[in-house]
Amino acid sequence: MKKSMGLFVALLLVTGVLWAGGQSEAEAGREKVTFLFWPGPESEAMQKVLDAYNADQGIKDNVEVEMLLFSRQGFYDKLLADMAAGSTEFDLNLVTTYSLGRYAPYLEPLDSYVTSDPGKTFIPATLNSLALDGKQYGVPTDVSLHFTIYRKDLMHRLLTDASWKSSYTAIAQKYLGKKLSPKDPAQWDWDDYLATTLFFTKSINPESPTTFGTVLQLKNLIFNIMIWQSTMVSNGGNWMDEAGNITINSPEAKRGLEIYQMIIDNKATPPGSLNYEFAESNEAFKAGQVASMLQWNAAYSTLTNPDDSPSVYDKIGVAPLPAGSLGHRTHVHSLGIGMNAASIHKAAAGKFVDYLFSDKAMEIYGRAGGSPPASMVLSSLADIRPEFPTVAEYLERYAYVVNGGTADYAVPVYEVMAEEFSAVWSGDQSIDTALAHTEQRMKESIHK
Amino acid sequence: MTSSMTRYRKYLFIAPLALFLLITLGYPLVTNIIYSFSDVTFRTIRSPRLIGIQHYKEVLTSPAFWGSFWFSAKFAIVATFFEVLLGLGLAIALAPLLERYKILLTFIMLPLMIAPVLMGIMYRLLLNEFVGPISQIMQMFGIYVSLLNPPWIVGTLVTIEILQWTPFAFLIIFSGLQSISGDVIEAARIDGASEWGVFWYITIPALLPNISIAAFVRFVDSFRVFDHIYVLTGGGPGRMTTSLSIFIYKSFFQQEQIGTAVAAAMVLLIVFLIPLIFSMRQITRK
Repeated sequence: MKKSMGLFVALLLVTGVLWAGGQSEAEAGREKVTFLFWPGPESEAMQKVLDAYNADQGIKDNVEVEMLLFSRQGFYDKLLADMAAGSTEFDLNLVTTYSLGRYAPYLEPLDSYVTSDPGKTFIPATLNSLALDGKQYGVPTDVSLHFTIYRKDLMHRLLTDASWKSSYTAIAQKYLGKKLSPKDPAQWDWDDYLATTLFFTKSINPESPTTFGTVLQLKNLIFNIMIWQSTMVSNGGNWMDEAGNITINSPEAKRGLEIYQMIIDNKATPPGSLNYEFAESNEAFKAGQVASMLQWNAAYSTLTNPDDSPSVYDKIGVAPLPAGSLGHRTHVHSLGIGMNAASIHKAAAGKFVDYLFSDKAMEIYGRAGGSPPASMVLSSLADIRPEFPTVAEYLERYAYVVNGGTADYAVPVYEVMAEEFSAVWSGDQSIDTALAHTEQRMKESIHK
Repeated sequence: MTSSMTRYRKYLFIAPLALFLLITLGYPLVTNIIYSFSDVTFRTIRSPRLIGIQHYKEVLTSPAFWGSFWFSAKFAIVATFFEVLLGLGLAIALAPLLERYKILLTFIMLPLMIAPVLMGIMYRLLLNEFVGPISQIMQMFGIYVSLLNPPWIVGTLVTIEILQWTPFAFLIIFSGLQSISGDVIEAARIDGASEWGVFWYITIPALLPNISIAAFVRFVDSFRVFDHIYVLTGGGPGRMTTSLSIFIYKSFFQQEQIGTAVAAAMVLLIVFLIPLIFSMRQITRK
């Protein structure tokens, strides 16, 4: 008994040693790549991609990728400090369109690591959203753009009810000085949006089933400026021209601010809008108190979910943002994966990056909950994400990145605009003053 | 033990703490001082170029800096005044009750346990026009205003600060109240002092060090306010609610004006020395 017991223990020990040896040998054979990410749905989806890579392509590449999570709170500030300090603790990290220029000095261009043509997988506008000075600094994994989200039931009645139509025309004449008729939201220009917004505002039209025609996000926040700037870009405006001259103080920007101002002055947006961002606008819409809104595509899932939005989930329609003189336009920005220039595993990390540029990787990511801007993937996932084909269409047709939108001064410029324009929307300063200040401060930010 | 040994022994005792503070506070302080006199960006953070007092000139002539400075000062003065006043009132009013029901102290302390950023998120919900109970109640009475809009916005932010931090002032003052000798009060009453006389000539002087500590700590903390304002208003609309901490944060991380941000932080440090000296005098008064 003692003998057999001893033999059993010895066998266990030998097995353990051999197993451990085998493990370390296998691990030693595969180069470790560390991927710095934040916790949440994106990292959960990305973990599926990592698992798929590690189980298949990673073995062929002799590379194993593992995720390192930082908290979301102040993620980019901490990342910037780490990268500026030349940290080698991670090889890959998150990048975004609007802060790309700031990180570019610490990022490795990806072009030399990609063996396929990224343009075959990704929509060109989204590749541009993570490119700077002709170099690709990131793989776009999650795309954000804007929709006009509207109440289908209300718009249907507006297009078919004779008394509503005549009332609409009268309101348009009174407030805009134009004889307008209701249109399908997909055909809206900015005047149609304004007229419809005023029509569905109870203080203007007591017959309106909603209290407010729209809900604007006016908080002093850069993401709110990203929504606003389509009012300018769709009319031909931009931050600067191709030669780099600042063009923000323009009739197009003024028109954009006037569109918002008209809505605010006529109380067609909830009074609290001055401090609204994404979540508050969704709440206003869910409450059934708003007829349409300019909103991030991410809202679609929440608004069409019966549990989240019981009173409107089956009444949600989607259209492009209203058209200006150049037609419909939507700001686009991407969350993506970049490579740390200080990495000591660049070749190995590059192999994983190459894999990320494939349809296969993006499909895994999309199925796991991501929003990859890859045409084929967006089309093929319509069964689980009904808005994806629309996202693909708008990205192909309407997407833009403002001139300078990926430069190192992008965030400071957005900050300036958020500060100056929110002061306009609160009635603290005039549009002309705000544009003059913005132009001056942009010059300071850009030519620092 | 020799007399010189005795003389140096006190330094020996504080040496570990002094060393710890030197490492944890001294290094960042020296780095910040260097940055405040340098041209520095994230790209050149390890090789700052000295440029003299330019950033201090920029800061001291910047309307944005002074706007945020005065916002912080007014915010801190109003918040501190009401926090100390309410803390004192609560301590005196609730003292008999707290003698019997100590558990009440736990409930009074609850707001202190909430992270300020969470407080901001909580009030974002409470004040929301569509889901917020505060707004719903106001609407029941026909009041359709957003408390996060001008002209209510600053009052709302100060009120949130007061609601969260009054328990802190209460705790400091209540502990002082507990330490006042009953004999002194009894002697005063025997000598014919009225309730008001006892309060004014015995209680208040005895509590003055505690009131000073509470006021100093709360003033400094309120002056540095960041979390709930940033969550609720982002410092806006415009710069209406930009506190000095928000100004520094935005200058540093979002505008990448590192030297300016650090120079502003240095000015803030100097400003805090004034109430610190005053409070230390009060606290150490014999």
